[in-house]
Amino acid sequence: MPVNLALGHVSNDFLIAALVIYSLSVVAFAGDFAFGRPRRAGTAGRVPQERATALATVGAVGGADSTTATGSPGVQAPVGVPAPAGDQDARGAGGGSGGTDSMPELAVPALRAIREAGPWVRAGVALSSVGVAAHIVAVVTRGLAVHRAPWGNMYEFVTALTCVAAIFFLFVMIRYRAWSLGVFVMGAVVVALGLAETLIYTAAGQLVPALQSYWLDIHVTAMTLATGIFFVAAVLGTVYLIVDRYARRVAAGRAEPGNGIIRRLPTTEQLDRLTYRTIVFGFPVWTFGVIAGAIWADQAWGRYWGWDPVETWAFITWVLYAAFLHARATAGWRGRRAHYIQLLGFTSLMFNILVVQVFITGLHSYAGVS
Amino acid sequence: MTDVRVTETDPFESAAPERDGRGPASAATGSFGTGDWLKWAWRQLTSMRIALVLLFLLALGSVPGSILPQQGTDPAGVQQYFSSHPALAPLLSRLGLFDVFGAPWFAAVYLLLFASLVGCVVPRTFRLAGSARTLPPQAPRNLARLPASAEYATALSPEQAAEVAARVLSGHGFRLRRSAPTGLAGSAAPTGPAGSGHWVSAEKGYLREVGNLLFHLALLGVLVAIALGGLFGYKADRLLVQGTSFSDTQTDLDEFYPGRLVTAADLPPFSITLNTFDASYITSGAQRGQPNSFDAQVSYTASPGGPTRTDRLEVNRPLSVDGAKVYLIGHGYAPEFKVTDARGQVVFDGAQPFISGTTGNFLSQGVLKVSGAEPDQLGFSGVFVPTAVDIDGTLESVFPAADNPVVSLIAYAGNLGMNSGPSQSVYQMDTAGMKQLTAAPQLLRAGQTLKLPDGQGTITFTGYQQWVSLAITHDPGQLPALICGMAALGGLLLSFVVRRRRVFVRATTSPQGTTVQVGGLARTDASGAFEDEFASLAAELRSAHQQAAQDQPAQDQAGHDQAGQDETAQPPGQAATVRHEGE
Repeated sequence: MPVNLALGHVSNDFLIAALVIYSLSVVAFAGDFAFGRPRRAGTAGRVPQERATALATVGAVGGADSTTATGSPGVQAPVGVPAPAGDQDARGAGGGSGGTDSMPELAVPALRAIREAGPWVRAGVALSSVGVAAHIVAVVTRGLAVHRAPWGNMYEFVTALTCVAAIFFLFVMIRYRAWSLGVFVMGAVVVALGLAETLIYTAAGQLVPALQSYWLDIHVTAMTLATGIFFVAAVLGTVYLIVDRYARRVAAGRAEPGNGIIRRLPTTEQLDRLTYRTIVFGFPVWTFGVIAGAIWADQAWGRYWGWDPVETWAFITWVLYAAFLHARATAGWRGRRAHYIQLLGFTSLMFNILVVQVFITGLHSYAGVS
Repeated sequence: MTDVRVTETDPFESAAPERDGRGPASAATGSFGTGDWLKWAWRQLTSMRIALVLLFLLALGSVPGSILPQQGTDPAGVQQYFSSHPALAPLLSRLGLFDVFGAPWFAAVYLLLFASLVGCVVPRTFRLAGSARTLPPQAPRNLARLPASAEYATALSPEQAAEVAARVLSGHGFRLRRSAPTGLAGSAAPTGPAGSGHWVSAEKGYLREVGNLLFHLALLGVLVAIALGGLFGYKADRLLVQGTSFSDTQTDLDEFYPGRLVTAADLPPFSITLNTFDASYITSGAQRGQPNSFDAQVSYTASPGGPTRTDRLEVNRPLSVDGAKVYLIGHGYAPEFKVTDARGQVVFDGAQPFISGTTGNFLSQGVLKVSGAEPDQLGFSGVFVPTAVDIDGTLESVFPAADNPVVSLIAYAGNLGMNSGPSQSVYQMDTAGMKQLTAAPQLLRAGQTLKLPDGQGTITFTGYQQWVSLAITHDPGQLPALICGMAALGGLLLSFVVRRRRVFVRATTSPQGTTVQVGGLARTDASGAFEDEFASLAAELRSAHQQAAQDQPAQDQAGHDQAGQDETAQPPGQAATVRHEGE
């Protein structure tokens, strides 16, 4: 079927619009850092009284400290609302204690939480939502224009994976009230999308016979999803390392406690847990993608695994993320080292996409980048 | 080092030996024999730390396999590397870097990793089987110290409260263990080793460990499946020109890579004829020249003398014949020539496959060796240009389809050297014993004839055929590998989704009546929100207790002994899961 060029143009326009709107959302999130009201433990006090009482009865046995943001079990503290500076610095340095096992959710409904987070966050969330909508329209119209899953070459793959990353992060940000991470993740999305738009733009077109298979829908979709999720995890891991480094500098007396930017960020513990959850979500998707790829390889090339360069790097990525999961259960490898491992995993993933698929000749040379 | 709550000793597996590879424990005592060393080495190998290191080595070891050309996937690339890096290549070859995934050191890494995995997984399987038979532990003394806890008062007696809690928890599928019944409702609470009051221990989420073990065992299964393919599978290649046939025998195949336990006699005796091959290309726009579809029409017989069937062979659509699969993996052009020698006899009349290089648009190279020509053997090295355009004196192909086919030939006469020395490739010619007859390449269009100088003969470019390259594979490990892969994925999901968690309820008499304490903990590397589940469970327990307390006065008015009724009114299914300590 011929390519619908008009729809292809619509897709391009929406993608540019998404890029611009995303950029504005980054500005808004940055504005929150610069001019926003300081959000500290105070927000937790704004939990409506009746809810707080209800929570206290099932949750905190700690009694009075149930209204402080972190620490005692059952208290629903938002990620974006860090504990008082001294508290956080101490925990960053000495490791958390007595915290909850999992990421707490806020008692306040999402919409109200957004409203209460201040005008900059409101603008940022609204803009990134609109941007995501435009991004989705761009991806969908691209798919309609070419009559197939719109991730058949490198440019399409990057636009799709950034879309996944943006949607996934929007969900994470609203669910965990992680407003302060917006500037980092949406910033990374803007950079990736901008580079795709300028460096590897490929006009809507048809696929070579090797890619004309429903396994494209299965294998590449899984890989796109997993990459988008790992993308978010990588940004979270980077923020973790920044916060962790600051905490260690404070502990060593080489930095002043109470840095204004660090204070607005989630604690290392929260970031660690959020990253872990993100990777736990992405890892099975990646595993499924590799298996689906093996089935497709068996259909197309007569073997399910042949150590083609791209296969090899998918394997390396899988092994590194598996190492991350194991590192978290090994003394001496938790925290910082584990995050270095997952960033290494993401590096190998990016190397696979940007270097192996473009410059190393193999069976997967479909990038369409000239 | 922030997540201090992930303790090294898992509270859920207190009997678990530490998997963190400490030094030999008895080293200090001085008596450390071979057995101790072996034990120590095994403990090291099965430690998580070593497993991590091996994982890294596996990842690191794979890197050269993707950067250097590999013998298995790109033998021509290996040859080229040898000629362009004559000093470095033999060294790399000695290290096995041109065949990383078959190299002994790579095998050592993954075999050690799997040994480590076995050493970890097998004992854990036994422990899991053991824990399925044992009851949850007794409720700890101070429930408020657990990661999640709640406390409230109820009008029920401690025993009644424990009863209600047991009913609620077993309704959620928890395995239960309870304090010994006192027999007398409302009497003073018994004091046991685990503290005072009536208590219920509940545990759930054994599937997490099941999933984890399934994942690791399935990975072992994948390795076994790969080995199975390596032993009993085979792979073969065959180039087939349009209109010709081949049969699946070793002599008729171009390449045959049998598994270790496979011989040529194991090949299924099918034969395949390529009737037609069509390749269509995009003719306009930015993607001009990109292939659109490949379609090979074949007829085949599964065994000699059997019925002939026809089928279409496409990319992504292999043909299954007699336990083997046939794949369309490449295509190209085979120009047809008619050659006469100095005597005027036709010594060649047929198609000669040419191989397209990397230049695109199927500019293809090949040689034609006419060993039957007399008195001198004739040889031609040529280029086939499917859609030829003269660009500044150089012939280039501007489109992959044969819209304007041209061959360019250089003729040689002399001795082809085919009767001596190593066997030659049909795509290369040794011109050492030959004399070049034409100074410049001679262009021929379809139907044109080139007269060789000195009456050495003629060559006519009569037309062209297309060829396809087929891969014939058989891999008995394929289905086991798929099943193991899916099992690994299933296990992974189970271990990520299910949480192992414990909930304890303790009811004690207090000045206000009865105090109910609820405490819970989840295995710490769990991903889900245990707090949510705990909060809702605690709320449910509380409302169940309230409800039971409200019902009680009404029943008291009716003159029933509620506490006694409760004991006997349990549904039978529930009684099976609720076990009382000391029974």
